[in-house]
Amino acid sequence: MTKYLAKRLLHGAFSICVVVALVMIMIYSMLDRMLVFAQDPVYSHQGNNTKTTYRYQKWEEYGYLDYVPFADYLLSLQRSGAIDEETRAGAAAIANTPAGDSELTAEYVAKFTEEYEAKGYTVTRLKAVMQGKTKRYASGGQPQLFAYRDIPLTHRLLDYFTSLLDIDSIHYVPEDADIGERGLTFTTRDPMYGGEKFSPAILGNGTRHKYLVYFDGRFPFIHQNVATIHLGTSYTVNTGVDVFDTMTRSQGSYVRSTIAYPTGLVEESADDLHTAVYSAGSLGTSAVYGDRFTDDYTSTSTVRSGFSKIGYSFVIGIISVVMAYLLGLPLGLAMALRKDKLIDKIGTIYIVFIIAVPSLAYIFLFKAIGGRMGLPTTFNMEQSGNRMMYILPIISLALPSVANLMKWMRRYMIDQMNSDYVKFARSGGLTEGEIFTKHIWKNAIIPIVHGIPSSVLFSLTGAIITERVYVVPGAGNLLTEAINKYDNGVIVGVTLFYAVLSVLSIIMGDLLMAAVDPRISFTTKDR
Amino acid sequence: MEDLSRFSLSEEELFSHVDHSELESEKITAPRYSYWQSVFRVFFRNKLNIVILAILIFLVAFAYIYPMLTEYDRFGNLLNSTTKHLGPAAAIRQFGFSIHWLLGTGGAGESTFDAIWNGSRISISLAFICAAINMSVGVLLGTVWGFSKRVDNVMTEVYNVLGNVPYILLISVLVMLFSPSFWTMVLALTITGWLSIAYFIRTQVVIIRDREYNLASKCLGTSTVKIAMKNILPFMTSVIVTLLATEIPSYISYEVFLSYIGMGLSEMSLGRLIYAAEGAMVTPGWEMEFWAPVAIASIITVVLYVVGQNLGDASDPRTHM
Repeated sequence: MTKYLAKRLLHGAFSICVVVALVMIMIYSMLDRMLVFAQDPVYSHQGNNTKTTYRYQKWEEYGYLDYVPFADYLLSLQRSGAIDEETRAGAAAIANTPAGDSELTAEYVAKFTEEYEAKGYTVTRLKAVMQGKTKRYASGGQPQLFAYRDIPLTHRLLDYFTSLLDIDSIHYVPEDADIGERGLTFTTRDPMYGGEKFSPAILGNGTRHKYLVYFDGRFPFIHQNVATIHLGTSYTVNTGVDVFDTMTRSQGSYVRSTIAYPTGLVEESADDLHTAVYSAGSLGTSAVYGDRFTDDYTSTSTVRSGFSKIGYSFVIGIISVVMAYLLGLPLGLAMALRKDKLIDKIGTIYIVFIIAVPSLAYIFLFKAIGGRMGLPTTFNMEQSGNRMMYILPIISLALPSVANLMKWMRRYMIDQMNSDYVKFARSGGLTEGEIFTKHIWKNAIIPIVHGIPSSVLFSLTGAIITERVYVVPGAGNLLTEAINKYDNGVIVGVTLFYAVLSVLSIIMGDLLMAAVDPRISFTTKDR
Repeated sequence: MEDLSRFSLSEEELFSHVDHSELESEKITAPRYSYWQSVFRVFFRNKLNIVILAILIFLVAFAYIYPMLTEYDRFGNLLNSTTKHLGPAAAIRQFGFSIHWLLGTGGAGESTFDAIWNGSRISISLAFICAAINMSVGVLLGTVWGFSKRVDNVMTEVYNVLGNVPYILLISVLVMLFSPSFWTMVLALTITGWLSIAYFIRTQVVIIRDREYNLASKCLGTSTVKIAMKNILPFMTSVIVTLLATEIPSYISYEVFLSYIGMGLSEMSLGRLIYAAEGAMVTPGWEMEFWAPVAIASIITVVLYVVGQNLGDASDPRTHM
C-alpha cells in the first residue's frame, strides 16, 4: 500500500511540475508583455530613452527578464572592491554616442558588453535624444546602456521549486551583522506574556523569525515559523507579499490588546510579537522601534478581527459542503424510493433547473429572494459577529451541490435496486429494511464517497461568482484578479495551489473508496 | 375425422396440417425494427416532449430570423436622453406600441427585446459550434483512448496535466493573444473542452469493452474497428445524446460566467448583456434590463436540456418495448 501511495504521489508531483511549467510558458512567453503598461499612468508620462528603461525595469519586477543597467554593474564592481569611487563615477558618465566616450568609460563599456554577452545577455545602448538642434536633452533623452536577458524556463522552474519551502536557520542573518551569540533557546516562560505565565516557546537569534515555535490562544494553538511556504511573490495584487501569506493572512480591522514590548514598554497595540521577523538595521532607523524593541526583530504583522481569504472561503465552503451532503443524500434516497411519485418529480424539476439555468442567474435569484426576506446581501468584515451574512453565500453554494448529489444518489440507488442480487435477497425473505441498510445503501454510497475529499479540499479555493456577488473577501477571486492585473507571481502560485489540491483530492478519494469498499484494492495486479 | 363442431370454434382457430417448406423455415419472423424510428416513436409518445420541442424550435428560429428581419442599432437613441432605462410601459408610451419596446429600453436607449435576440443568436451559435467540435473530437478520441492500452497511459497523463491548468487562465491567455472575438471564444472553449468528454467516453468504452459479447465477437475474428463501430457505439448512443443535452446549455452558461468575470466576448452576447446590466438589477425601475436576458438565457438552456435529456432517454433501446 505504501509503495502504491508513493507511486501515486510521485506521479502527482510530476503532473504538478508540468502544470506549473505550462502555466509559466503561457504567462511569460505567450502573453504580450506590453499589456503590463496598459493601465500604467507612470509609463505614459515617460519619454524617449527613459520610457525604454522603465519598461525593462518593470519587466524585471514582473519576473519576465533579468535587467542590468551599466551603473549597477559599476556599483557592484565598486562593492566587490575592484574599482574605487572615483573610477566608478568617471566610468558611469556615458556620452551621447559611443564615439564620444572617454577612454575610461569606453574601457568599462567594453568590459560590461563582453562580460554580459558571454552570459547570453543582450547589451543595448540608446543614443541620447536631443531637443531639436539644441544641446539639451529631450524629455527622458539621456543616453542609456543596459543588458537584459529573458529568464530561461528551466532556470525559472528550478528557482521556483527550490524556493518553495524555506527552512529557517540561525545563519539567516548575514554573518557580518553584529547580533550577539547565534543560537536557539528553549524557554517555558514565553517573554511575550511577561515571563510569568507557563507557555513554552523556542526563540532564535540569527534566524529570520524570532519565535520558531510558540503557543497562543488562537487555533491551532501551537504555531511554528521554522518552515515557511513561498508560492511566489505578488507584484500588483498585494505588493511584495507572498501568495501564501496573501491567502492565509487575517483581514479586517485591528484588534488592540495590551502588549508588553521587549523593552518593557506596555501599550495598547495590534502588533503580534510572535510574528517578529529580522529586518536588518531597523532598530536604529526609528525612534518608535527604539522604544519598543531591543534587537532588529522589529517587523511584525498585526492581529486582525477577520479570517484570512482562505478562512472565509473555507468557512462558507465547508458549511455548504456539509449541508449539501446532509440534504442531498436523503433527498436523492427519497426520490429513488418513491420513483415516479410526486417527490421524484419535484426533485427532477429542481435538478433540471440547477443544471440548465446559468449559475449566475440563480445566484442572483437567490440574492433577490434573500434580500426580500431581509437577509444581508453583502458581506461586511467589520461585523464579524453578524452570522446572518453567511447565510446567503452558503445557500448559494450549497443548492447546486445538493442538486448534483441528489441526481447521482438517485441514479446509483435505482441502479442498485434493479440489480439481481436485490431480487435474490428479496426472494430469500429479507425485509425491505434489511435489504436497504445491508445491501443497497452500502453499494450505492461507494461512488459518492469518492467525491468527498475533493469537495472538502476545494472549499478552500472559494467560489468565483458567489464571492463576487456577495462581496465575500475570500480566495475565489484571487486568480481572476491576478490575471486582470498581470500579477504573474500570483498566477503561478495559485495554479500550484489548485494543482496540489486536485492531485491530493483524487488520491484521497481513491483511498477513502478503498476503505469503504473492501473489494476495491489498488495494490493487487489486474487479474 | 372427429367432429369438431362441439368446440364451437371457427375453422381458422383450429389446428390444421401445414406442409413442410424449406424456404419458409429459413425466414425469421420478427416485427420490423428501425432504431431511429423507435427513438422518435418513444420521444413523441410523450405529449410534453412535443410541446417543449416546439418551443425549442420556435426559440432557435426566432433568435436567427428576428435579428435578420429587423434593423438593430444599439446606439440609435444615444443622444436622446429621454429614452434611457425605460420600463416596458414607459417605453411603449414613448415610442408607441411595437414589439421592440415590450421589454423596455437599456442604458443607451436601445430596445432590450432586440438586444436580447441579437445576443441569443450569438450565444446559441457559440453553444452549437462548440458542442459540435467538442463532441465529435471527444467521442472519437475517447473511443480510441478506451480501446488502446498504450494510448490510455499517455492520455491519462495528458488529462492529469491539462485538467489542472486553470481553465480561466487558459481562456484569458487565448483572449489576450487574439482578440476577444467569437472565434477566439470557440477556440478557447474547445481547446481543452473535448478532454473531459473524451475521458467520460473512455470510461464508458472501458466498461463495455470487456463484456462477454464483445469477447465472443473478438474470438470470431471481428476487427477492432468493427467492434467499435457496430458493437460499442450503438450501445453508447443514449449516453452520447444525454451528454450532448448537458453540453449545449453548459456552453451558454459558461459564456455568461466568463462575461461576468470580464473575460467574455466583445460582441453583445447574452452573457455580455447580463454583465452590462448587473448594476441595473439593484436600481429600482431598471430591473427588467437585467432579468429579461437572464430569463431568456434560462429558458433557452432549460428547453435545450429537457429536449436533450428526453431524447437521450428515448434513444436507450430498453425504453423501446
